[in-house]
Formats: sequence, structure tokens, C-alpha cells
Amino acid sequence: MINMIYILILLPFIAGLLIFAIPKSIRKITGFFALLITLVDLGFAVALFNKNIIYSVPWAGFGIDFSLRIDHFSSFIILAVASFCFLITLYSTTFMKDKNNSGQFFAYLLISLAMTNGAVIADNLVVMLFFWEGLLVTLFAMILIGSKAAFKTAVKALVLVGISDLCLMIGIGLTGHLSGTLTMSSINLSLDSTGGVAFIFLMIGAISKAGSMPFHSWIPDAAVDADLPFMALFPAALEKLLGIYFLARISLEMFKLSPASWISTLMMIIGSITIIFAVMMALIQKDYKRLLSYHAISQVGYMILGIGTAVPIGIVGGLFHMINHAMYKSGLFLTGGAIERQVGTTDLKKLGGLGSKMPITFGVFIVAAASISGVPPFNGFFSKELIYDGALERGLIFYIIAVAGSFFTAASFLKLGHSVYIGKIKDEYRSVKEAPVTMLVPMIVIALICILFGVYNPLPLNNLIQPILGERLLEGHNYSGFPSNIMIVVITVVVLIAAFLNHLYGVRKSGSGLGAADHIHHAPVLSYIYDKAEKRYFDPYNIGLKIAGFISKIFFKVDKAINWFYDVFIVKITYFFTGVIKKLHNGHYAMYLSWSLIGTVIIIIFIFIVLR
Amino acid sequence: MRNEILLFCIVFVPVIGSFILPLIGSFSKQLRNLLALVFVLTSVVFSFILLPEIISGGTVTINYPLISGISFTLHADMLAVFMAIASSLIGSVIVLYSFGYISHYENQNEYYMMVVLFLGSMMGLVFSGNLIFLFLFWEITTIACWRLIGFFRGKIQVLRADKAFLITVFGALIMLVGFVMLYSQTGSFDLLVIKNALKGNPVSNIVVMLILFGILSKSATLPFHSWLPDAGVAPSPVTALLHAAVLVKIGVYVFARLFISTLTLDVMWHTVVPVIAGLSMLVSAGAAFIETDLKRILAYSTISQISFIFLGLATGNEIGIAGSLLYILMHGLAKGGLFLCAGIVEQNTGTKDITKLGGLIKTMPVTAIAFLFCAFSVMGIPPFGGFFSKYMVITGAINNGQLAIALTFFAGAILTILYLLRVFTMVFLGDLKISSVKEKSATMVSSVAVLAILSLAGGIFIKYPSDFVVLTVQQMLGIIK
Repeated sequence: MINMIYILILLPFIAGLLIFAIPKSIRKITGFFALLITLVDLGFAVALFNKNIIYSVPWAGFGIDFSLRIDHFSSFIILAVASFCFLITLYSTTFMKDKNNSGQFFAYLLISLAMTNGAVIADNLVVMLFFWEGLLVTLFAMILIGSKAAFKTAVKALVLVGISDLCLMIGIGLTGHLSGTLTMSSINLSLDSTGGVAFIFLMIGAISKAGSMPFHSWIPDAAVDADLPFMALFPAALEKLLGIYFLARISLEMFKLSPASWISTLMMIIGSITIIFAVMMALIQKDYKRLLSYHAISQVGYMILGIGTAVPIGIVGGLFHMINHAMYKSGLFLTGGAIERQVGTTDLKKLGGLGSKMPITFGVFIVAAASISGVPPFNGFFSKELIYDGALERGLIFYIIAVAGSFFTAASFLKLGHSVYIGKIKDEYRSVKEAPVTMLVPMIVIALICILFGVYNPLPLNNLIQPILGERLLEGHNYSGFPSNIMIVVITVVVLIAAFLNHLYGVRKSGSGLGAADHIHHAPVLSYIYDKAEKRYFDPYNIGLKIAGFISKIFFKVDKAINWFYDVFIVKITYFFTGVIKKLHNGHYAMYLSWSLIGTVIIIIFIFIVLR
Repeated sequence: MRNEILLFCIVFVPVIGSFILPLIGSFSKQLRNLLALVFVLTSVVFSFILLPEIISGGTVTINYPLISGISFTLHADMLAVFMAIASSLIGSVIVLYSFGYISHYENQNEYYMMVVLFLGSMMGLVFSGNLIFLFLFWEITTIACWRLIGFFRGKIQVLRADKAFLITVFGALIMLVGFVMLYSQTGSFDLLVIKNALKGNPVSNIVVMLILFGILSKSATLPFHSWLPDAGVAPSPVTALLHAAVLVKIGVYVFARLFISTLTLDVMWHTVVPVIAGLSMLVSAGAAFIETDLKRILAYSTISQISFIFLGLATGNEIGIAGSLLYILMHGLAKGGLFLCAGIVEQNTGTKDITKLGGLIKTMPVTAIAFLFCAFSVMGIPPFGGFFSKYMVITGAINNGQLAIALTFFAGAILTILYLLRVFTMVFLGDLKISSVKEKSATMVSSVAVLAILSLAGGIFIKYPSDFVVLTVQQMLGIIK
């Protein structure tokens, strides 16, 4: 068993390094090699599912033991990670075939898989941070190889995620200090003053990995610059799984988050802000991938809101939403990739009427878009209803924001679907064909699971999600089946219909599917804010860089002043004194004689007055 | 007896050997280069041979009484051996790199003599069990460094060399006054005697302050740091040597040796030193973010990272000190690599101005990757070695209850990411501004590759250095004898 855990980390890591050694002439096989490795990883993940293993060897001293833990929760995440990696690698074998950097792409993908596995099964906080922060390196590299201009985004991602990881480091230091151990399974802290600070730092690390505000702004940029499978795998799936996994670990196990705590309220506020601002930005996007990326941010808000409610129904909803989101969002990105590969652009202005040319892609899109919009009976509907219920229990305002988020989500997907798949097709795209089968299979599988997890939701809820909370937290509830609160369901349906009517209104007003949201975009006040947002006035990265630049300039001046002290001031002082002394030695007898006289007088005075 | 001879050789093979190098250089350059490497490697290999004896808890001491109260003492314990291995290992990579770098310049005899003398006296300093000899070796390094900074003999180089010399000697002389006061209190310059005489009582604050002058000036910490960026006019391997491996670590080492192993400090210093270090870190990190000269940026970065080491040592708790010792090793490897990469860039493009560089990852891929690896290590990103040291240092501050200080250094860590990425982006990414540049000299490129790989290995195989450091700290704090 122990060897199996090690294989989860070592196999993809070594395989990833091996890819660099594959000679150029047979580079074509790298995709299949990577596929094989992810398949093996999937096999191990299945074999380890629901096992309970704890393993520990000494490592770096000071409580930093290399300890790993497989339990229900971590084995579930490992399984999900392995499935996504396998499906998206399958997709990429075709998608990346003609790209220059495909070898590097697969290498980084496998190394990231190793790191993710390590972070999930680590039972020691520092070991977890080791793998977790190690993902920075592959993140940077994967964005960097995306395109020529991608380096700016890569730097942005590294800085933002790096800062949040440093927060995590501080949090881990504090947690270790307070609890006296770094082993996650034996930490049990309260959320009093210092404990609260520790929790906040850990939380920042967790939700930033998941892509929440304010450390989100690299994701939309990466959507344009990085390779599409990267987007489908990382911001859409793996990072969400990892971030929310750790958030759940800290708030359910290591700290006991209760609804009475102010931190619970804080988390709900962060969640709500993320939901609403990101979805508003998504609404006005004119690029397939960029639009999806804002939703990847917005949806994470629902998960944070759900877990932040600290009531069982909200937590179950948040965790269910995590796995649902990973599916439909990577599915959506994969449809975007199919369009990009077959048509050659993801610019919504150029697209249209592709539904008849690419019916399977369109079908997958409909399923995934309906899921993300919370249309019954797809999976997203059920997880959102649970979150709504939890939010309503904690405060009407959170519920209203969550529902408003759903309205805009539905509106933006109606706009997206309309402008890509319906409407008039451009003449140059008349010969577009459906995507190849290796790309379609992962998309179809994901779409089918989206339906399965919705129609038959007791399967995931009873077997995957609810065991995470355990009997104690669930208090005997079972949230599978159709939502119990019919009022919330009715409101959801009304909101969805309203979104549809709004779409029809927007289409009639602007005359196209693409312009369906223009009336919101150009509404008074909103248009002003949108304008500033598009110019990145609110991008925390830009703001942060300005602050850092300003502070640095001050310090630079301080340093220059110190330099001046040594280079100019001390030199001048020295010259001044030596200059004075020099003047006293001008070579005239009279001068030297008078110095001797003055000296003699001083000695005489000294002898007579002092020594007498 | 065998161990005593080994210890003697670690110090005096390079010290005496350095004076032979110019003679040999006058008839064979190859032999001289080879011998320089052999002398430095002697220190590395012999230190490793001493290792088993030291790890098992033993120490090796050579003691020859000279005039009254002063004896020539070499004393090898875990801290000394750790420091000796860390600096001589990096030193030998630098000598290897020099084969390629310095081969185009005049006065190579002087160069190799000074470098080897420098490393030898560093060994002497590390193993000195006596304050007078510690001071003596300290000043030999100052003289060697003065010649090396002024190596190119231009007006500006000579001025900068003088500046470095004056500031460090000024500090050292004040430190000497501190040593003398210590002598008047305890009646001896011998570290063990001093330790036993004080019996764990805090040493007077004035002595600590005087000695700190020397330490801070040698380790280029605010307000005595300004010679270090200016020293960038030296040949690249020398700046790497000065900054990364050896020179700035001397101050840090003496801090550990005197203020942790030997003397007990007043509680006040656990706050004062981190505050000085914090200021130094912020000022230099800010300067590194604005500066456009490649070597000056790296020099400021060194000043800023040295502060982390001081922080860890000043916390006085186990994890903080262990973090600092790891930091000395990891930062030495990584920063040495960064400077040597900068040297390759400078030599092949003819400029150090990062605004004139760009896109070099296409023409110099190995250098670029090595630079990135080393930068990741300095930033503290796993799986590179710098991660553990940064974590431990900051945790050391947290364990002392100094959350505000920990957060200041957290801000410093953010700035580190910013300025190193800025350099990397401007030099290696973007549009290629200087075309027809090639990576030259296999020894240079392989040296940086070695350092980059060591930085990576230091993180993945953290168990080995960490195990050693844990024992070292226990010995330093007297937890085990």
C-alpha cells in the first residue's frame, strides 16, 4: 500500500522528467506516453479509493515529517484529479499535436499531476506546502510556453499565486506555533484571536489557489495567452479541487468553523463579492475563453459561500459544487478548444451558426452551460440549490447575491451559446467540420457525468460528498434527491426564465446574440465602471505593482542618501579637516614658531593650573 | 593526530598554496589553474573527511600557546565544518568558472592568488578558536577582497575597492575594541575560556554593540551596506565569491559563533537585530526593484537576503537558527549561480544594463534556465532549497511571538519575488534585443548548471543538510555535548 502512495507522486514526476529526454525525432509519442502514465495514475487512484492509510517518515526536522494520509476525502480528490488529467491528456494528444511545445506541455502536466497528488495526500502542513507551492513552477512554465506574449501573464500568475502561497506559509507557521504540531490530522485549534489570524492566512492561500478574488486576475489573461488544455485542466479543475479541498480541511477538521464566528461571515462576504463582480465581468466579454475564465472565478465564489455558511447544507453544497464545477467548466473549456482548433478563432464577433456544423460540440456545450446556469435537472442545479438554502439560513443578502449571480450566469451563457452556435455562419467557415474523435470523447464523457450527477444525485452525494462531513457534522441529514425547499426552487426557475426574457430583449434591441448583454453593459453608471474595469483600474496586480513601485522608490532614495553619506559627505568632511591642517603647515618659519609658542604656553598653563 | 593534520591542511594548504600560484603561473597557466582548484578542493574534501568524526559529537582542536594569553587555536565543531563545506564547495565551483571567465584578462596570477588566499583565510576564520586569529584572518580576507574589487585597475574600480576596504576595516577596528573589552572582562581571547568564564551570564551590551559594527559592515547590512553594490565592478566570479559564498557570510558566521555558541545576549538584542535586519531588507529590496544594473540588483538582493539570515539567528530558537544555517547554504548556492549567470550575460553581450537586454532565453537557454532555478531558490519556491530555509526563518520569528517582524519579512519575501522576476523577464524574456549572442565557454555554463542543480537537489534531498543542521544547532545551544 505504501508503495502505491509513493507511486502517485513519483511515477508522474519521473515520467515528466523523462519526457525531456525523449529525442526530437520521436516527439510524436510524448502524448501517448503521457496518456499511458495518467491512465496508470487513474488505476492507482481507483485502487486507493476509500482506503485509510497513514504513513510517516522523518524528513526535515522540527516536526516536518514526510507524512501522507489517504482517507475518504483525499482519495476522492485524488480520483477526481486523476480522471481529469486522463481525459484532458486524451484531448490534448490531438489538440497539442501540431504545437511546438507539446513535449514540454506534457512534461509539465505530469509533474503538476505529481505535485497535486502530493499536496492532496500530504498529512503534514509543510509537506503540503512543498507540493502546493511547487505547482508555481509548472504553472509559470505552462503559461510561458503558451504563446510569444504569454510571459507577462506568466509573471503575473507567479506573483499573485506566489504571494498567496506566502500567506499560506505564514499561516502554517502560525498554526504550527499554536498547536505544537504540523500533522494535519492531529491539529485541533479554536478560532480565537491568534487562531483566527492563522486561519485567515491559511484561508487566503486556499481560496486564492481556487481562483477567488483578489488573487484572480491572472486567470482571464491566461485564458487568452496559455494553451487551452492548460485552462481546462488547471484553473477549471485541478486548482479548484485543490483549493477547496484544503479550505474544507481547515474549516471542517483543523479549525472548527461555526456559524457564530466572524470568519464565517467574512468567508461569505468574500464569496459573494467574487460571485457578483466576476460574473458581471464575464457578461461583457467578447472572447469565448476569456468569458469562461471569468466564470471560473465567479463559480468559486459559490463554493466559498457554501463552505463559509458553516451549516451542513451549505458545506455539502459547496463541496458538491466543487466537483460539479470542475466537470462542467473543463467541459466548457474543451468545447472552446474544439471551436479554436476547427475554426481557428475564439473571437465571438467572428463566430456564429456553428451548431449545425459541430453538433456534438454544441450538445456538450448545452449540457455544460445548463449545468453552470443551474438549470434542472443538471448537476449544477442541485449543488446551487443546497448553497442557496445554506445562504438563506445565514442571511437574506447572501442569498440575493447568489441568485443574482445565477441570473447573470444564465444571461452570459445564453449570449455565448447564441453568438457561437446559432445565428448566421460566416462564409469562410462554411466548410468547418466536427472535432476529431479523441477530442470529442472526453467532452462527451464529462457531459454524461454532468447529467448523471444531476439526475441521479444520491450517487455522488451519498458516496463522495456527504462522507466528507461525517455523521457528526451532518447531524443525521441527507441532502440527496430533489431539493426540499420548494420555494427556493421556484425562485430559481423564475430567475432562469427572467434571464431568458432578458436575453430575448437584448437580442431584439441590439439585433444579434453577441449584443444580448449590451443593454446592461451600456447602462448608466455601469458603463462607466465597466470602462474602468476593462482598462484594468481595478486589477489588484496593477494596483499592487504601483504600490510596490512607489514604496521601492522611497527606499531607493533612502539608499541613495546613505550612499551619498559615504561617497560625498564623509569625503568632504575629511577634506575639510585635512584642508585646515594643511593650511597650518604652509612652510613659513613664523607660522611654525608661533605654533611652538602657543604650545609652550599651553604646557605651562597646564603645569601650573592643573598639576598644582 | 590524523584529524589534526587534516584540519591544519584545510586552512593552510590554500593559504600557503596561494603564494606559490604566481610562481607556477609564470611558466604554466594550465598547471596554475589546476593547482588553484586542487588547493580549494583540498578544503572541501578534507572537510568531508572530518565529517563522520564531527557528526558523532567529537571535535578536533589544535592548540599552540604563543605569547601570554594568546594561543594559536583551530577548533572544528559542527558549525565550523558546516560553514567550511558550504563556502569551500561554492568556492570551488567559482574557481572552475574562473577558468573560462578570467582567461581573457591580464594579471591572472594575481587573480588566482587572491581568490585562493581569500578562501584559505576564510577557512582559517571559520576554524579559529581565538579572537585574535579570527580578527587576523578576517583582515586577510579584507585585503584580498580589496585587491579583487580593484582588479581591473580603472579609476572607478580603485575608488570602489577603497570604499569597501575603508568601511569594512572601520567596522573591524571597532569590533577589535569589543574583543579587547571582552578580554578585559574574561582575561582571555580563547573562545572556550571566554564561554566558561561568563558561565551563561549575558555579556555587556556595549561589547555586543561594538562587535556588531564589525559584523554588520562585513555582512553589508544597513547602514554599512553601500560598499557591496559598488563592488559589482569586480570580475563576475569575484562578485559571486564576495556576495554569495563567502565574504558576506563571514559576518553572519561570526554572529553565530560569538553570539549564539559562545556568549549569551541580553533579551533586547532578539528584537533590535531583527529590526535592523528588517530595515536593511526593505531598503535593499526596494533598491533592487528600481535599479537597472544587473549586478547591482543582485548585490541588493544579497543584502536583502542576508537580513533573513540575521533574523533567524537573532530569534535564538532552534528552528530559526537552523533556518539561518540552511539559508547560508541555499542562498550561497543560488546567489552564486545568479552572479555567475550574470557574468555569462555580461561577457557575451557586453552590457549589464537590463533595459538593453531581452529575449536571451532563445540564445542562451542553459544560462536562462539556471538563472530561473537559482531565482526560484532565492524566492523560496519549492522544490528548491530556499523554500525550507525561508519557512524555518519566518517560523522562528513566529515562535518568538514576533508576528509583526514575521510580517515585515513576509513583505520582503514578496518584494524578492517581484525584483527577481523583473530581472529574469527583462533579461531573458521578450524580444531579442542583442542578436548573434552565443553561450560560450563550457566550463562557465557547466558551473552555473551545477549550482542550479545543487539548488534543486538541496530542496528535494533536504533530509541530509537538515539532519546535519539540526545536530549543529543542538551543539551550538549546548543541548547535547
